Amino acid sequence: MEIKRYEQLDEVLYTDKLENGLTIKLLPKKGFHKTFALFSTDYGSIDNEFIPLGENAQIRVPDGIAHFLEHKLFEKEEGDVFQVFGKYGASANAFTSFSKTAYLFSSTNRVKDNLETLLDFVQEPYFTDKTVEKEKGIIAQEIRMYDDSPDWRLLFGLLENLYPNHPANTDIAGTVDSIQQITSELLYTCYRTFYHPGNMTLTVIGNIDPEEVHGWIQANQSKKEFPPFTAIQRFLPGTELENVEPFRSIEMPVNRPKAIVGIKGTRPHKEDASDLRFRIGMDLLLKMLFGPTSANYLKLYDSGLIDDSFSYEFSYERSFDFLSVGGDTKDPDGLTDVLKEILLSAKNSPEMTEENFELVKKRSIGQMLQAMNSIEYLAHQFIEADYGEANVFDIVPIMEDITLEELQELADCYMKAPVLSAFHILPRGEDQ
Amino acid sequence: MAVKLTDGVTLHVLPTKKFKTVRIKIKLKAPLREDNSTSRTLLASLLETNSQKYPTQTAMRSELSRLYGASFYTDVTKKGTAHILTLDLNVVNDKFLSESDSVLNQSVAFLEEVLFRPNVQEGAFHEETFNRERENLRDEYSSYYDDKQLYAALALQELYFDDPAQQIPSRGREEDLEKITPRSLYMDYQKMLQEDIVEILVVGDVTEDELAKAFRIFSFSPRKEAGSQVFYAGKQGMDKKEKTEIHPVAQAKLNLAYDTGVYYHAENYYAGQVFNGLFGGYPHSKLFTNVREKESLAYYASSFMDTFRGTMTVETGIEGMDAPKVERIIAQQLEEMQNGLFEEEAFLQTKEMLKNGLYQSEDSPGGYLERVYANIIAKGSIIPLDEWIEKIDRVTKADVQDVAQNISLKARFLLKGESD
Repeated sequence: MEIKRYEQLDEVLYTDKLENGLTIKLLPKKGFHKTFALFSTDYGSIDNEFIPLGENAQIRVPDGIAHFLEHKLFEKEEGDVFQVFGKYGASANAFTSFSKTAYLFSSTNRVKDNLETLLDFVQEPYFTDKTVEKEKGIIAQEIRMYDDSPDWRLLFGLLENLYPNHPANTDIAGTVDSIQQITSELLYTCYRTFYHPGNMTLTVIGNIDPEEVHGWIQANQSKKEFPPFTAIQRFLPGTELENVEPFRSIEMPVNRPKAIVGIKGTRPHKEDASDLRFRIGMDLLLKMLFGPTSANYLKLYDSGLIDDSFSYEFSYERSFDFLSVGGDTKDPDGLTDVLKEILLSAKNSPEMTEENFELVKKRSIGQMLQAMNSIEYLAHQFIEADYGEANVFDIVPIMEDITLEELQELADCYMKAPVLSAFHILPRGEDQ
Repeated sequence: MAVKLTDGVTLHVLPTKKFKTVRIKIKLKAPLREDNSTSRTLLASLLETNSQKYPTQTAMRSELSRLYGASFYTDVTKKGTAHILTLDLNVVNDKFLSESDSVLNQSVAFLEEVLFRPNVQEGAFHEETFNRERENLRDEYSSYYDDKQLYAALALQELYFDDPAQQIPSRGREEDLEKITPRSLYMDYQKMLQEDIVEILVVGDVTEDELAKAFRIFSFSPRKEAGSQVFYAGKQGMDKKEKTEIHPVAQAKLNLAYDTGVYYHAENYYAGQVFNGLFGGYPHSKLFTNVREKESLAYYASSFMDTFRGTMTVETGIEGMDAPKVERIIAQQLEEMQNGLFEEEAFLQTKEMLKNGLYQSEDSPGGYLERVYANIIAKGSIIPLDEWIEKIDRVTKADVQDVAQNISLKARFLLKGESD
């Protein structure tokens, strides 16, 4: 195992890559009762077109299949895996994002039993036509729940505008129609391609002895056979050249209108430490423009254009990224105009002073240290995106090192009118 | 351990080395009345927005940024017969910082500043701030309709309770807003500061001595210590209340409310927790297994107990036309619990999950402080985890059956789509 010490943060990280290709990350945390494990694959809702393992021809699978697969892995011939975790007192869960699927448990004892359960259930799929059919009703209700969620619809409305030809424009769970086309055979095809240990990472954080846990994992994996790993061939439309729909709005049964403005990134991801620096830079830039100490925020708040629902985010996924900013507002058009203006003139914004920069930096470093209290936060950061050798513990040093000129340059490159879009949700009956 | 700062004001310090931060919660507790939820919520927003020394949001947030991004917010909650306003501050432990002045001491001074010297002139809150925060609260009330899960939960609460103080949301309601003025709110503020029972809770790598010293600057006056019962024990009528609303939604929500007679750390509490876990609290529960896994009728179907009010609610998201079937299945699961029809294995699993959850609550500063506070207002002291866990271990299947037999359905709220 490779051991890396982070003296300033009082952390030691153990990493290894097993013979079968599985990456392991272990972080012992003294004094915690809990152990949290996250078994993740580099596979999400955008991975819809690929060449299946061992074949030559590219295929297109139904929207929502990665998320469907996540649901179905929990069901086995002998019953539900939740029951096994329950027996050991662990709470288990899973999630699917645009570019990841992850399975997790947290427990305060029987870590070995729980870890083996996690590895075994993810590595021993059991899909039948009957269980697949049964799941369609459950997932249809999950999709309908999100259909009624204005915040979710607002985000995906923006993504549909920004990515007309890219799978990022589709709900991670797919649609009620698309999931009807999913079969057990298709699930096996996706499973074999994307659940190879070479495409997966196991992260364990908490009350552990890293050597001991490493031994358990190795023993478990050496009992299983996998074909040799070959790089997965995925096909994604480029995000930089396509057209952007500048504006759309929909009506929903809501009382408060909602507006969101977004810009998609066009810088190709390099999957190394420079990506992490880029992400941190964008986070800091948005904080300077819209954070609670900015004059912009105060002005928008005092004028009643925004309230506590206002938020801004930089989303960084495998192969694509975008920023989004907005919330509930009494005047969606007015808010959109102001936000556009702030974004497109960011480079020369009066907010971009050394004094503001130092304040935002200081706050961000403190917030980062606060977030590191949470084992779950750390685990999610470890799997979030591929930054090569860099990880969550490098964030504070990068923040300390970054300069205002860098942010100005980022603003100049990122904030472009052709890749900007807005989306509104209006109360029923008020659309023009 | 507890340090009495004055009558009715107590400091509780919970030292631990495992966190990189110090978390402070100041909790002010008043009897819940029909008319105080709204004013206290508005008060909480004003305290979080600005103060005399920090007259704009920018000034206040800049000070917090200077304290290495200390997070500060206020919140209000209801617990049984009490309304609780919380000031919550989280700051990085000094040992990770290279500051010469203690950031912790500066943070305590910040809390003192914003709590004791709000933005008030001549006996009234700053009018502009007041007006804006009142408008924001009005907008917030109107946005409850936008979140259908929340909307259905609030509608069920209103339907189930007869007592108006219990019916309204913990953050209040729109119709009260007009009655509140910058002057009346200042009077509410003074009343809160003088009469509320205050608990200050701190967790982190700190000592009781240093915190007791730091909090000496807080000039709370002595107040009458709480004598009243925090549990709400009002019984609902015998009849089951029902209400259906139709809105243009994709998914219907069927929510049910029950009387339980289960109260926090009363004798039947531990069996009550096991009951809830088995019935609808976990993925191995009867509701999850039957409504979701066997019948594919829902994505979520779960139960929650409010042990400060002796109630339980069940929430489901379903197709509107399936509502009668789902209600039948839920009723059947309760009946089975009442007849002792649950598996030994699931029973043991539930106990393991409950214990796991308890231990885990000590790993998050916020969760830990909330548990300690609930202990204090319900029992007057911190209940040792070992003792709690032993009581869960001692629960028998017959105890769970007893709890189930005292649970009765009292209200049903259905929100469904136009085409259902």
